[in-house]
This record gives sequence, structure tokens and C-alpha cells, in this order.
Amino acid sequence: MRLKLLPKRLSINTLPALLVALFVGGLCETAIASSHREAPLIAYDPLADNTDVYAFRSPSNPNNVVLIANYIPAELPHGGPNYYTFGEDVRYEIHIDNDVSTTGDDIIYRFTFSRTNEDPTTFFNIRLGQENLKTTYMLEKSTDGGSTFSTIVANGIVPPNNIGPRSIESGVGAGAASYDALITGAIANATGGGGEMVYAGPADDPFFVDLGGIFDLGDSPRQNNGGIVRDGLSQYNVHSLVIEVPIATLQKDGKAVGQAANILDGDFVIGVWASASRQTTTTLGAGSSTGSGSWVQVSRLGMPLTNEAVIPIGAKDEWNSRTPYNENPAHYEYFYNPELALYMDDDLFGGAVPAFSALRIQKASLGAFDFTNGADGLFGLKGSPAVAGTALDDAIFGTLLLPKAGAPRSVDLWPIFHTGVPNLAPYQLATGKGGNPLAAGKPFINNFLPNGGDMLRLNMATPVTPRNSPAFSSEGLIQAAVLGLTDPTYANTSIQFIPNMDGFPNGRRLEDDVTRIELQAVSGVALAAIGLWYDDYYPNPNEAVSPVTNQLVNVLQYSTGVEQNDIAFKSSFPYVQAPWRGTAVAQKGTE
Amino acid sequence: MKTYNIYKSLLFLAVFSLLGCFGLQASSHREAPLIAFDPLADNTDVYAFRSPDDPNTVTIIANYVPGQLPHGGPNYYSFGEDIRYEIHIDNDASTTGDDIIYRFTFSKTNQDGSTFFNIRLGQENLKTTYMMEKSTDGGATFSTVVSGGIVPPYNIGARSITGGAGLGAADYASLFNSAITTASSGETVFCGPTDDPFFVDLGGIFDLGDAPRQNGTPRDGLACFNVSTIAIKIPIADLQKDGKSVNQAANILDPDFVIGVWSSASRRSITTLNGDGTSSASGSWVQVSRLGMPLTNEAVIPIGDKDQWNAASPYNDATFYDYFYNPELALYMDDSLFGGAVPAFADLRIQRSTSPLGLDFGNGQDGLFVVKGSPVLNGTAMEAGSPFENFLLPKAGAPRSVDLNPIFHTGVPNLRPYQLATGKGGNPVATGKPFINNFLPNGGDMLRLNMAVPVTARNSADFSSLGLVGAAVLGLTAIPLCKTFLTWMVSLTEDVLRMM
Repeated sequence: MRLKLLPKRLSINTLPALLVALFVGGLCETAIASSHREAPLIAYDPLADNTDVYAFRSPSNPNNVVLIANYIPAELPHGGPNYYTFGEDVRYEIHIDNDVSTTGDDIIYRFTFSRTNEDPTTFFNIRLGQENLKTTYMLEKSTDGGSTFSTIVANGIVPPNNIGPRSIESGVGAGAASYDALITGAIANATGGGGEMVYAGPADDPFFVDLGGIFDLGDSPRQNNGGIVRDGLSQYNVHSLVIEVPIATLQKDGKAVGQAANILDGDFVIGVWASASRQTTTTLGAGSSTGSGSWVQVSRLGMPLTNEAVIPIGAKDEWNSRTPYNENPAHYEYFYNPELALYMDDDLFGGAVPAFSALRIQKASLGAFDFTNGADGLFGLKGSPAVAGTALDDAIFGTLLLPKAGAPRSVDLWPIFHTGVPNLAPYQLATGKGGNPLAAGKPFINNFLPNGGDMLRLNMATPVTPRNSPAFSSEGLIQAAVLGLTDPTYANTSIQFIPNMDGFPNGRRLEDDVTRIELQAVSGVALAAIGLWYDDYYPNPNEAVSPVTNQLVNVLQYSTGVEQNDIAFKSSFPYVQAPWRGTAVAQKGTE
Repeated sequence: MKTYNIYKSLLFLAVFSLLGCFGLQASSHREAPLIAFDPLADNTDVYAFRSPDDPNTVTIIANYVPGQLPHGGPNYYSFGEDIRYEIHIDNDASTTGDDIIYRFTFSKTNQDGSTFFNIRLGQENLKTTYMMEKSTDGGATFSTVVSGGIVPPYNIGARSITGGAGLGAADYASLFNSAITTASSGETVFCGPTDDPFFVDLGGIFDLGDAPRQNGTPRDGLACFNVSTIAIKIPIADLQKDGKSVNQAANILDPDFVIGVWSSASRRSITTLNGDGTSSASGSWVQVSRLGMPLTNEAVIPIGDKDQWNAASPYNDATFYDYFYNPELALYMDDSLFGGAVPAFADLRIQRSTSPLGLDFGNGQDGLFVVKGSPVLNGTAMEAGSPFENFLLPKAGAPRSVDLNPIFHTGVPNLRPYQLATGKGGNPVATGKPFINNFLPNGGDMLRLNMAVPVTARNSADFSSLGLVGAAVLGLTAIPLCKTFLTWMVSLTEDVLRMM
């Protein structure tokens, strides 16, 4: 282990290359569906199908955090006559963990919906001011782990679907001023002193992904078809639950963000996940369906893509039935040795997925460490003096992070998805490490909250990158890492805000290109950020050698080509864009 | 011939307007609240026609699972395992209920549970096979006529279908073709994904009837979406009640060659979530979706009754007759009601006062009921004492009991007044030119086909998507056919144009 030398920091002349790399990457980005129809059972229960979860500090009010859970994938905007709405016999919940010392959820928001037909004599959804399948909701909140709930919105309004101008604005329809007026009119302020603002209703699906390419055996970006990619969710709607919550309501001790010790204060980490549950028994009658019995979770979502592209088909339904607090340890294997990594390894199936050719995993990082599937990664260091005092020390979290041989990604992918990442060595940027990845470096993340599994973890103390800032990037934390490693402004080991430190996987912003980020992460980019460089980096004690090697640049440049949503997000609550209008879409099933 | 040409022009215009209506509604995609959220069991369309490539057979198609994104990975779409998909055939007015039932039951298996891809290295997940059973005793007993039938995989993309890392097939068509099988009872069968054959401007029509769009361009809202299809090609002699082949038909409107077709999906009454990501079904089978005539449950039955309609069968449909007597759509074609509220239907107006009888077919009016029992109806299907008198003229205030209700619920007999006006000398209840006989009155909503009617070749210049309306136009206007003998009428609007 002779890692002493470089890089103190990357030489300044590597910066242009990296920026070019990112800029090029920024022009054409990536995609996988987060969790749309991701498991066999839920694929046919669209009302209860949880597609995505987001958690980010509000760009319009940084004292707040925005939580978004989306349901009902691939709604056709013109899907009449019944269009889409939340199910009556489904419990929709957003769960928040804010305290590692308590078991399970600390806050639960539960939505329950009711529908009514204002005029059952028509087959139209809206006619003469009357709306059918008109949906209202009750929002309840629990702060005792679900033992008791109190109602904080009693009769919330779900806007109708955006059917078309005759149904929405005209006098023979709803006679609204505009569809946006219906959205605005449906925003509720919750009671109970928590200060929540709430929207439940149809929205543009904010997720973007080349579904057709990626699930055709990973053909993303597409290798043929003239390189033409397409966002397979473009112009489809979902139903969104959006809650904007004061940080002091979410922080375990009721502290406002101004009271944070620093921008990585561990006391400001929350874990967020969402779920849908149905009653055990559904009984069909003649034209009726009745639920009875206890509630059974049928869908959940925390980290994007977990159940879409990490959990294999044989385990997907089971995964949906569990909570972050009772993950099946057998499923850890899918993170220790992820399927996607098979396709980024020339000794395995790398040759079978040409689209991933830029994504290759460290097989001999620093000449010593192999992170490809079946290899040992850092396990050889377990218990050694080299890891003493780091997170990998068995006295700290080494039992979690280095569980066994043959589990190479137990040190990066597994904690990113299951515990969050602490601000401890080795989980600091290579800047200042002097070439030793296990040394203290530059802090860039702390969303560690290890008392649960798959959740979206957000450090609420991390400042907001303005959406209109030139520094804003859909690459999220990867972009923050690149800047932290290369920009002289950050060439130190103190805690500093680097733009996009508030990006995925530190929470998830609507703009974050999680497909690209996760594919890059599977390819080992997080390992590289902390100094476990790609195989083509050979440190030389006698001269400065840049670790920004071709392999790293390839990974950073990798993109699926679908890098942003098909429509800009709203700059204020509820942030998701209005649903596509049924008469205004040109989208088809495929190109 | 000047006046004649004007007459034809007007008629053609009327037909053209009808195109705007008939061509542009979703048949039954997500048409009722309950089934809208059970896509696997959602029956979207039924078709029944003499096979254009094999006129001794009839092809029946039932489609399910609407709005499938061709790129809907990772799990794509298939039939459900715990669902009974059935195609029902009535061929005999003297027997109660179905005479033939085809039942399809599907099974899925994962050939490689270790991947999230649907197809990888020659292995297919959610691979679907089926059993086809047939009953000829009204469902009392079934015999298996296909076992281990193959549902082709989804047409995911080149890498999955033809690539070496995928299935390595020659092409998708070869998978499709090799899945076609012959049942032990003689039928040719296919079950699998297909293009959705239906076409409709969903976005326009359900925005309060805006079809054709008054602002903006119409578009087929189902373009490039897939469905899951069950298709069966059946010898006519196997469908005809007495086993007769089509050349034994007395004429091309022989009533013994009428069949009624409907399809359904049923689930067991109880679904139990087991809490570990599995679910199980138990109890008796409950019908959750059905389809016979297109658009019935989409645009005739109002939302308050849609779920009940799906649960009923054609043999207990009488409760829904009122929606046909006074259809909601007719409100929007009547200036004294809501005609002004739907500008797109401006060309569609209903007879409010027809000479010489002064009949009014607007909603709430009496239509032909005003002449019920009158000698003027003697010799017609509605004459006093006819077994159909009270079906066709049940009550006052049910104006469409004479046209829409029988079209949807009994079929139309080759009897006065259901013949073309040609030769009637201005008296609508007189004998006219025969043009339809698909009368089979022992059931309600079914798609009725007279299998004796010849096939219009698909590549013929005469072929028209306006179907029988096109035939009626020709029957009323084409000089060589303008006689009161029974002949086969082609549906041919282009010729009308040429003559004008």
C-alpha cells in the first residue's frame, strides 16, 4: 500500500479536460425508468404503483423541504372516458425517518381518497359544471411511528384531469379560468401546526428515461437507430403527492436550518420513502369491488431504480412488500454484486452490452483493488491498521461495510442505497488525501442514517443550488465531486458548499438525472471520487500524474442521451409541471 | 338526372358526417371505473368477420389490456394468470345462452429469475403459455383443444429479439408466426401482443364530444400502442348451428347463418394479498369485463351503470334498454336539447319531424310508437301481435326502440321496415330492398354476423371502412343495384362520387 504521493490535488491543467467532459456529457444525458411497472404484481395494479420519490430543499423557500411521491405510471393524457385518479381503497403514505436512535418511521403522512359522481347520467367526465370520479382526500399525520394519526387536511381537492379546453375552461365543462387555476385552487395548507403545504393531483411525469432503449438489454444510449434516443415517458402524466414542510417540522429536535452546526450536520439527515397499501382481501361482486382485512403494502419506493434495475425479477414482488426496516438481507447481494456490473466488465458480459462500453469498473484500482463482481474490493483491508479510525473499522461501521469476501460493492453501492454515506474517511473526496484513499479528505456528503434500508436520504442542512445558476447540474453530487476535486476554490479539507451537493444521492431533485448517476455509480465513479482511481491511473512518486484518466473521463462523459424532462418544472410549489392536456399531446406509444 | 345527383350528393355528405362520428370513439378501452384500473382483464374490442383469405371460415378477435406502451419495460405486458378470457358464440335463437364458448387460461414462468431484463441469453421471463378449452353445451363441460400454446414475447427491440444476447430469433415475425397453432377441434389460434387495431381521436371525443376537433388536428389516440389479442379462425360449418357450410346457405341473408359474438374476462371473487409479495385468488368466477358491440359501455352506458354493465351478460341486458331508447349522444344532435353545446356534431341532426307520418325521433319523443297497433304496420316486424311488437315499440317516449336498441340488442331482421327505401315508393314501412339480416333475438349486446354474406375483398376499390352504411348508400343510389331483388351490395362510396 504505497499510495502516499499524489494527488494532493488535481493539477489545474486537468480541469479543462474534465469540464469539457462534463459539458459534453451535459449536452446529451442518461435514462432508466425509476419504478414504473417495475415488478410483476404491481405492474397490473396501476393505482397503487409508486413510480418515484423526490426530496429536496425548496428552491423558493430554503427553510422548507419538498417531498414528492408519484403514482399511476404512464397515464395517457387523453385516456378517456374515465381518465385517472387515486384509488379509494388504497393507502398512500410518505414515511420519514429522522432519528437513528428511534426504530422505524418518525413521521408518516397518509393520504386517503374518495370519489364521487356528481352526474352519473353521462359518460363524459366533466359536463355542465359537474365532475364524475371527482376525488377528494384526507391527509393524516402520525408522529409516533404510526400508532396514532391526526387529520391535518380534512377535505382536500384533487383537480380533475386536464382533459381539454371544452371540459376545463368552457361553459359546458368546468368553466375554469385555466387549468393552472385549478391546480392553484387545490393547494391546501395543513392544520396541526406543522406548516405543511399540500398538493395531490395529476401532474406531468417528471421522470425521464429512454425506456425503449435501456430495457432492450441495456441499449442506452442506443447503438443503432442513428443514435436517436427518446424519453419514453414524454407527455405521460402521473398522480403526485407533494408536501412542502418546514425543516424544523422534519428535524428530529425541531431545529430550524439556521441552527445547523454546519452544512453537513448529521442531525439534519432525513430518510424518505413512500408506499401504497391495499387491504388483504378484495371481494368482487357484480360490478363492485370491496376491500377488507388488514392493510398490506403492495408498492414502495425510496431510492430510484432499486426495484427496476437492481432487484431481479424473482425478488421484485417480495421487495415491494417489505419496508426499509425489514429488508431481506439476501437482497443485499444485489448491491454487493449488482447485475448491471456484469455488463460493465469485459471478463463477464461487458461485450454483450456495447452501449455501456464507456462504463468500466475498477479491476485494479491503485494496482491493488478489484471491485468487479465476485472480487473482494476492500475486504482484504478488514481489521487492518489501514482502516483504523475510518468508517471501515469494525469498531465503527466495518461490520456493515466489509461483511465478507466476494462482496466488492459493500463499500459504495450498498451504503449509498441502504445507510447513506457518513462524513468519515474514506467517504471524503480525494482532495487532500495525499494519494491514500483511506486518509481524511474533503467532506462532500453526509446523509448517513443507518437505522433503515432503502430510503432517499437528504441532509437538509446542505444549501440549495439555485435552479437558474449556471453551476446547476443534473449530475447532482457527481458534479459536486468533480468540482471539489478540480476547482482550486475547493482545494482544502474544510467543509465548504460546492454547487450540487444538494443533488442526488443527497436527496433527489426533480432535475437530477438519476439514471445516468446510478449507472456511473455502478461503474465505480464514487470509488474514484474518494481516490480509488480507475485502472489506467499509475501514480508516479517522481512526478505529478493526473488521476483524470481516460477511463474516468469516459465514465463522466457517459450519457444515455435523455438528460432532462420534456417540460420545465414549475419554479414554485408544487414544482411538478401541470399534467399534459388530453387534446394537446402528440405522443404515441413509440416513435 | 340533375335532381338525382343532388340527392346523392346530400346523401354522401350525410355519410361523410357519419364518418366523423363512427370513426372516432374508443371502443372500450378503460371504459368503466372498476375495469379502468384492472388492465389485464380489460376487454377492449371484439371483431367477427368472414376471413378475407379463406371465406369458408370466420375470424373472431378479442383484444385485452389497453394502452400498452411498446417500450413498457422492464415487465412489458401479457395476459393475466388468474383470469378467464372467454369468447362466447350464440348461433341458435331457440337455445338459451351461449352455444359455443372458447376459454383461454394463461400461465407465466420466469426462465431466469436472476435478471431484471425480460429477455437475456435465450431466456425469457414472464414467459406465457396458454390452454384453450371449448364448450359446446353452454359451458357445462369443456374440453381442452390447445395445451401448451405459446404467447410470443414482447417485441422489445432488436437486441432482445434478434440479438445473440437476446433470443437470437430470425425476426419478430417468425416468433409471431410460429406461435400460431391449430386446435384439436380445427380452429386456427393466435394469442399474443399486436398493434391495437382500433383507431380513435380519444383526446377530442372525450373532451365533450370534440370530434372532429373544432380547433386543432385530430389524432388517433391509440396510434402505436399495443394490445393483447386472442384470434381464432373457425370454419363456418363449425359455427353454424346445424353444421352447414356456407354454400348450403339459402341465400346471402339466410337467417340460419347468424351468429352473435361477445367476449369477457372473469376473475375469482376473492383476491388475497399474502403480505410477502404474492397474491392468491379463490372463490367463484366473477365477470369483470365484457364486450360485444363497440362503444356500448364507452359512450352509451353512463358512468353510474358502467360497472354493472360489465358484470351483466347479453342474456340479462334488458335493464339497460333505456340508454338506447334515449341515448345520451342524441342529446348533442338535437338543437332543442344540447345540440348547440357540441359544435363538432353540427352535421349530425336527428329526424324530428318526418313526412308523411310526422314522426319525431328526438330524445323523449315517441318515434314510431304513435302508430303502434295501427294497420299501417301490418306485415312489418312491429305489427300488432308480432312477437317483436313490444320489443320494438315498448312504450311512449322511447323513440330509438326501433333502430338503436335492436341494432345493439337483437340484430336486424330482413323484414319490413328494415329494408332500404329503394322500391318503397315513399312509404317507409313498405317492402324495400333487403340489405341486412343479422337477427338473433335471444340475447342482448352481441356482435352479430350473418356468415352467409359474401366478403368484400380488402384490396377491392369497393372496400369501405363505412361498412353497412356504405352498402346502404350504394343500395339506395347505384343504378344497377337499384331494384328490389336480393343481391349483394358492395360498400362503395368512391363509385357514388364518380357518378355524381
